[in-house]
Order: sequence, then C-alpha cells, then structure tokens
Amino acid sequence: MIFQVLPQELLDLLRVLEFWDHILIGLAKTMWLYVWALLFGFFLGLLLALLRHYGGRILSRIATGYVEIVRGTPLLIQLLFIYFLPFSINSFLDAQGLPFIPIGRWSIYVTSELFGRTMTMVFLDHITLMGILTLSLNSAAYQAEYLRGAVMSISSGQLEAAQSIGMSRRSGILHIVLPQALRRVIPSWSNEAAYLPKYTVVVFYIGLTELFAQAHYIISETFLTLSVYIVVALIFLVIITLISKSLDILYKRTAIPGL
Amino acid sequence: MEKNVLNVVDVWKAYDELEVLKGVSFELAKREVKVIFGPSGSGKSTLLRCINMLTPPDKGEIYLSGQNLIAPGVDLNAMRAKIGMVFQHFNLFSHLKAIDNVSVGLRRVKGFTKEDARAKALDALHQVKMAEWAEHYPAQLSGGQQQRVGIARALAMKPDLILFDEPTSALDPELIGEVLQVMLEIAKAGTTMVVVTHEMGFARAVASEMIFLDQGVVIERGTPEHFFVSPETERVKHFLRQINILYGHHEELLKEFNED
Repeated sequence: MIFQVLPQELLDLLRVLEFWDHILIGLAKTMWLYVWALLFGFFLGLLLALLRHYGGRILSRIATGYVEIVRGTPLLIQLLFIYFLPFSINSFLDAQGLPFIPIGRWSIYVTSELFGRTMTMVFLDHITLMGILTLSLNSAAYQAEYLRGAVMSISSGQLEAAQSIGMSRRSGILHIVLPQALRRVIPSWSNEAAYLPKYTVVVFYIGLTELFAQAHYIISETFLTLSVYIVVALIFLVIITLISKSLDILYKRTAIPGL
Repeated sequence: MEKNVLNVVDVWKAYDELEVLKGVSFELAKREVKVIFGPSGSGKSTLLRCINMLTPPDKGEIYLSGQNLIAPGVDLNAMRAKIGMVFQHFNLFSHLKAIDNVSVGLRRVKGFTKEDARAKALDALHQVKMAEWAEHYPAQLSGGQQQRVGIARALAMKPDLILFDEPTSALDPELIGEVLQVMLEIAKAGTTMVVVTHEMGFARAVASEMIFLDQGVVIERGTPEHFFVSPETERVKHFLRQINILYGHHEELLKEFNED
C-alpha cells in the first residue's frame, strides 16, 4: 500500500538507507580520520606558524618550504607517496637483509552488534595510519597559514609588554600572544575545519573503508548511484553545518568584553 | 657609578643605514626623575628600548645598579623585571582583565601564588586609582584608564626604575591630566623614572634634569629652570617655542601674529 503512494525517488532513498550499518560505520571512520587529522594538523600547524613568525632565518625558511611544498602539490599524490613509501623502504631493507616494516599485518578494531547487524570498526591499521598521517601533514600546512595570519595580527607591542615585565619570549608567546591569536583565528580556521571532512574521501584510493568507500559498496549492491551520492552529500552537509555552528558559538563564547 | 640605578654610556644604534643614536650617555640616581625630550625621530623611544634591551644597542654600555646589561650571559628577563616600561599605546594585554594585566608578571615572573599576586596587583591598582576597575577588560576602559593600568603593571613588579615612552601622547587632551597626576604622585613617592614626554609642566614639577635629544645626539641638558629661563642652543629655543604654541601660551603666539 505505502509503496504505491511514495514516488520512486523516495523509495530509492529508503532502499539506500537499508544499508544504514555501512553508512554508520563509514561515517564513524570518516570522523575518526577527520578528528585526528585536524588535531595533529593543528599542533603541527601551530608549530610551523610559530617557527615561520618567530623562528629566525633558517627555521622560518624550513617551515615556509614545508608549507609551500604541501600546498603546491596534489593531496592525492601526497597520499599515494606516503602509502607507497613504506613498500619502497621495505624492498630496500629486504636487499640489506634487515627486518621489514609490518605492513597490513596488524590492526586494532572493535566488532559489535547493533539491531542485529554486525559492525567492525578498524581504529588503527597500516592504511588507517597512512591515511591519518597524510591528512595531518596536509592539513598542517593550511592550518599553519591561518594560525600565522592570526599571530601576525596580534600587535608586536603585546609581546614587548610581556618582555618588559620580565617574561621570557617563550612565555610571552605562550601566555600573551597565543590566547589572543587562537581566539582570533577561529573564523578563518573554520574553513579548514569545514574542508577537511570532505578531503578525507581521498583515502578511498588506498583502500580505507570510510564513508565514500561504503557508498561505493552500496552502489555496487543496489546500482542506485545518484541516491547514494545524495545521501552521502547530505550527511556531509549536516556534519559540516554542525561544525560551523559550533565554531561560531565558540567564537562568541570566547569574545573579549569591550572588543 | 655603582650608586646610580642606571648608567647609559655612549650608546649607539642604527637601523640599517639610519643612525638613530649616536653616542648618548646619561646617568640616573635612585629616586631621580629625568625627562628626555626632543623632536620626533630624535631617538628618544629607541633610547628607552635600548635601556631595557628590547632593542639591543650596537655599541655602548648600559649598567643597571652596576650590572652591565650588554655583557654576555646576562639574564635579560630577570633584568627586564627590574626595569618597568610604560608604552605610548599602553600595550595592555587585551585578553586579560585590568587586575590580571597587573598580576600576570607577579605570577609568571616573580612566582607569587594567585592570591598574593592578586593582592599586590590590587595595591598597585589602588596607587593609580583604578582598583574599582580591576575586573574590566582593557577595551572597556578609556585611554587614560588604560594607561594608568599600564603604570600599575610596571609598578607592581617593584622595579628599580620605570621608563615612560610618551605616556600621554596617544591620549585625548581631557585624559592627559589623570595620567600626569598619577605620574606626579609616584614620582613624589620616590619612584626612579626616565620619562620621554613633551609635558613641560610635568617636567618642571618633578624632573631633576632634562635632556634634549636631536638626531641621536644630546644637544643640551640641564635643570628645568635652565631650559625654561635660559636655554643655550638655537635648536632648543626653537623647539620649546613650538611646544609653547602647541600647549597654549597664547600670549606669545598672538604677539607674533600681531607683529606679522
């Protein structure tokens, strides 16, 4: 009865949603990659930004070089490079008669049952590690530039005032400049926070079963190509809207009175 | 020399090609107030920044209570804690309340507990009549109030001397008075001070000596009486005339107009 009144498009969507366990585990994996990449990228990016701004000639050039190389090359090539690098190292180690890097022989995962469906979430294995590594190293370069912009926007008088009362340069940067810069960076940094979930889809190419990979599995089962893509796109839309809103709230909550 | 809080000996500083200080020397005894004045670009601010080594000089010596700051191995952070600085643009830490602006150095540099630092900071804010604004952020304060917090921030560290870098020149005219009042009070209370300012009333009231700096060189120095009664060089006379015009000794100005 109900099947007769609903349009075909909606039926297709319902058919896709029958694979909710695949969607759920894919989403979990995507968010897992996202959170670590954003976090590692943030700390490495912060280090790069501080080195670029305060690091003296040599260190700032190294940091600049890193940022330019990462921003100037395709993410997919970076991913494949990092993915294949251990294999090359292994063949080198093999030729020397040395022990290998364990690739694909280990994994940390949890299997659980939900509403009668068995789901396995792989938290860490070789390709997950390579995926997180690539996304972190890539994101760091972009985050570094947002952070550097924010650090530069804090008047140099702030650090001088800190030094004038006897604070070390490091303490001044840490306690006076950074708290102001980290607050000021939120609006521009939210760009990276919103881009990165979508960038995670490239790890599909090295065989990680995140949301995009699960989408292809569902397509291969149902041939409902457009419907699947629409569902995936909607999921990203919701996630990223939530991230943007949270950052907006964070920005307002951390407002400095009077400014 | 050891009796002096500060000895500045033949200090030179250049930014690339531009020679800003060309051999400046002066000394400062405990409880003494010296006023440095001169046209913009004369090197006044650079001189102050050399004294607390925010801008290390190229040549010369700076002694703080006999200790040479230029010598290698000197703990500059510890030395700077003994040299307060009040900035033209206040440079208050904008993410911290007034009280925290004053207490942050006490906690992070002097190692006081949170409560002790707070009590001492409140004392300093009392001294500049800003205690009731302790919980306000800099952006919620007027320029004059911000500058008084800036003075409290320097005072709280109980430094050997305080450097004032044009403390009133970024203020609206009606706010200058409250800052000068506080500066007069702490000067009379025995604070050792080097003040870069064009406030001649302030100089007349508390300066033991005034130093006129032009193009990185000390042109003339002497008591306020010396400068206001019988300045020697044409350069100083001209400069003081300009200041008079700016600060409203209008009789002379009108006379000049009438003569024209």
